[in-house]
Amino acid sequence: MRLSISHDTTYHYEDQVRASIQYLRMTPHDSERQQVLNWQLNLPRPVRAQVDPYGNILHVLTMDEPHESIVIGAQGVVEINETLEAEHEALSAYPFLRFTQLTEADDALREFSLKQCHDRRDRSALIDLMHALNSHIEYVPGTTAIETSAAQAFAGRQGVCQDHAHAFLACARALGIPARYVSGYLYTDSSDHLASHAWAEAWLDDAWYSFDVTNCLDKPSRHLKLAVGLDYLDACPVRGMRRGGGIEQMRARVEVASTPMVQEQ
Amino acid sequence: MARSFYDEMYMANGECRSHYRDFTRWLAETPQDLLAQRRREADLLFHRAGITFTLYGDDQGTERLIPFDIIPRSIPASEWAVVERGCIQRVQALNMFLTDLYHDQRIIKAGVIPAEQVLANDCYQLAMQGLDLHRNTYAHIAGVDLVRDGDGSYYVLEDNLRTPSGVSYMLEDRKMMMRLFPELFAAQRVAPIDHYPSLLLDTLRASSPLDNPTVVVLTPGRFNSAYFEHAFLAREMGVELVEGADLYVRDDKLFMRTTSGPKQVDVIYRRLDDAFLDPLAFNPDSMLGVPGLLSTYRSGNVVLANAIGTGVADDKSIYPYVDEMIRFYLTEEPILKNVPTWQCRKPADLSHVLANLSELVVKETQGSGGYGMLVGPAASKAEIEAFRARLIAKPHAYIAQPTLCLSTCPTFVEQGIAPRHIDLRPFVLSGRETRLVPGGLTRVALREGSLVVNSSQGGGTKDTWVVED
Repeated sequence: MRLSISHDTTYHYEDQVRASIQYLRMTPHDSERQQVLNWQLNLPRPVRAQVDPYGNILHVLTMDEPHESIVIGAQGVVEINETLEAEHEALSAYPFLRFTQLTEADDALREFSLKQCHDRRDRSALIDLMHALNSHIEYVPGTTAIETSAAQAFAGRQGVCQDHAHAFLACARALGIPARYVSGYLYTDSSDHLASHAWAEAWLDDAWYSFDVTNCLDKPSRHLKLAVGLDYLDACPVRGMRRGGGIEQMRARVEVASTPMVQEQ
Repeated sequence: MARSFYDEMYMANGECRSHYRDFTRWLAETPQDLLAQRRREADLLFHRAGITFTLYGDDQGTERLIPFDIIPRSIPASEWAVVERGCIQRVQALNMFLTDLYHDQRIIKAGVIPAEQVLANDCYQLAMQGLDLHRNTYAHIAGVDLVRDGDGSYYVLEDNLRTPSGVSYMLEDRKMMMRLFPELFAAQRVAPIDHYPSLLLDTLRASSPLDNPTVVVLTPGRFNSAYFEHAFLAREMGVELVEGADLYVRDDKLFMRTTSGPKQVDVIYRRLDDAFLDPLAFNPDSMLGVPGLLSTYRSGNVVLANAIGTGVADDKSIYPYVDEMIRFYLTEEPILKNVPTWQCRKPADLSHVLANLSELVVKETQGSGGYGMLVGPAASKAEIEAFRARLIAKPHAYIAQPTLCLSTCPTFVEQGIAPRHIDLRPFVLSGRETRLVPGGLTRVALREGSLVVNSSQGGGTKDTWVVED
C-alpha cells in the first residue's frame, strides 16, 4: 500500500522566543517494510539531516533570532509492504532491555505481565499481554500527559497510545524481552484515533515484531515507522527547548491517505 | 581474627623503611608545638583558599574542610615505576575495550564477556555505537583507586573513568607541604607534580583533531561537591570555566557566550554526568547541560573529555573482567592485581556472599562515593540483616569482595600520631601518550579502624611523595 502523508505543526508563542532548539524525528527511512518514495521537510531554516543513536533520521533546528511562531511541515509518499510482519536489524537488541523513567516496571506491572505470560516468552504470550493491556488501560485522550509513566497510566487505567506503548515496554522488559517504542503514522478508515501514532516492537526470534496495544494489532498493517527508541522521549517527532516565549500553543494537522496506484506510463 | 596491616612507614619489626628515614629523623627533631602550629596554619590556609568539599546527605549543609594531614605518604621510586606501568597498562586496555565495545565488539564475539552483561548495562550508551573518536580515546582522564593488602601488594579497587575528582587536593596538598616545611624538600628529592595542569591541558588539546582547539571546563555549578576543583583546574590551565547556560548550539556547532561575542568551543572537559549533558537527548529535566550537545558531539564538531558512555567500563559488574581485557587487547599479563569479586547476579556467588556477609565488603554495581556499601567486619548485626534483604531483592545490583587489610600510614590524630588506613588515586591522562604525574591523591580514613577513605565519609588527604629508594 502506498501512503501519502501531510503533517503540519505550528507553534505559537504568547511572547517572543529569544532562542529555540528542536530535535525533529519527522523523516522516515527505508526498511524492509517501507520504502520512502519521496519526503520533504519544510523548516524555517535549512538544516542538515543526521542519523541519531537509534538509526532514526534527525534534524536539529536551531533558531537564535527572536521569533513568535515556528511552522514545521512534513510530507511525502511511502510504499508499505503489508505482507511483512517483522523487521530485521543488524544492531544488538540487548540495549532495549533496560528500563527508563517512563517505562519502569513497578510491582503491579511485573505481576500483571507474569499473570498474562507465566513461563511463556514467545509471540503468543506477548499477544495475550497486548490484549490484556488494551482492556486494562482504556483509551481516553486527555487523562495522561507526556511525562506520565507506564506505572502511572497502568494504575490510572486510562491513557493514549503512548501510555499503551510504555506499559507494553515495561511488561516485555520485565519478562526479559527487549522491546522498543515506535513513533509513526497510522492510516485508518475511521477517524477514531489520531493519524500520528505510537506502538511497540519486541525482539523475538531475531526480529522486531510489532504490537499495537491501542488497536489490538499483533502485526503492522498501515503503520508507517518514523522513529524508534527506548521510550517516547527518544522517538517523539519533536523535542525542543526555548528561551522565553511564555505559553506555547501547538497545533498539528496530520493527514494520512492511501494513494491509489497510478498506472505506469 | 587478628589482621596484619602493611604499614607504609614501619616494617613489622618496628624498623623504619629506608625511604622514610629522612622524614622520621626530621619529625623526631621538630618540636611538637611547632608541628601543632603548622597544622593550625594549614587548616587556616585551606579554609582561606576555599578548598572545601560539599557533603551530600547532610542536612546541615554543606561545606566542610577536607582534613589535611602533614605526614606524607611516601612511595619509593622503584615501587612507583611498577604502579605507573600498571596504571598505564590498565587504562590503555580500558580505552581499547571501549573502542571495541562501541564498534566491532570483538571481545563479546570471542566470548570473553557476555553480551548481555555489557549491552543491557544502563551505562552502555547507544549514542556511542559506531562513533569514531579522535585517537580512540574515551577516558582521557582516569582515576585508578589502589589499595595495598597485608603483604604490601597493590590492588586496583576501581577504575574511575567518568569524572574522577580529587586532583586539586593532590596539587594543593603538595603546595601546602612546600610552604609549611620547605626544609623537607631541600633535604630530599621528591618527584614534582606541579606540571599536572599543563599535562591535562596538553591531553585535552590532543583530544581534538584541530591544531589549536578552544578548551573549556564545564561544571554543574557551585553547588557541586567538586566545584572548587573545577574552578581550580580552569584557572590553572588558563581556560574558561563555564556552566551549561553559558553554552549554546547553532547549526551543529557549539558556542560560548563571551563579552566579546560568541566563540566556538572545540573541547569540553566536562565534570557533568552523561545523563545531564543534553536535556533533549538524556534527562529532560536537566538544567545543567546544553540542549543539542549530543548531536553536535555525534557530528564530530566538539570533543567531550571524558567521552559519553565510559561508565560501562568502570561499572563494578564489569570490573571482574579487566584482567581478561588486558590479556585480550594487549596480550600482556596484568601488572596490578584485581580484587577477587563475587558477582551477586550469579546464584552460586550470591549464596556464598549471603553466607559470609560479616567478612565481606558489598558494593552497589552503580554506586560511588562509599554511600551504598556494607563493610561486613565493621557492621552491626542489624546493618548486615538490612543489607541481606537488599541483596536478596536485587542481587544483580551488587558485587562483593573480601575485606582487604588496607595499608596504614602514621597520621596526626587527637591522641597524637597513630596508624590510619589509606588508599591511592593516581590520575592517568590519555592523549598522544598515556602518562601520569608521580604519585596521586592519598586519602586517609581518619576514624580508627575505618576502611572507608572517601572524603564524603570522613576521610582526609595526605601529600603523596615519590622518592628515590
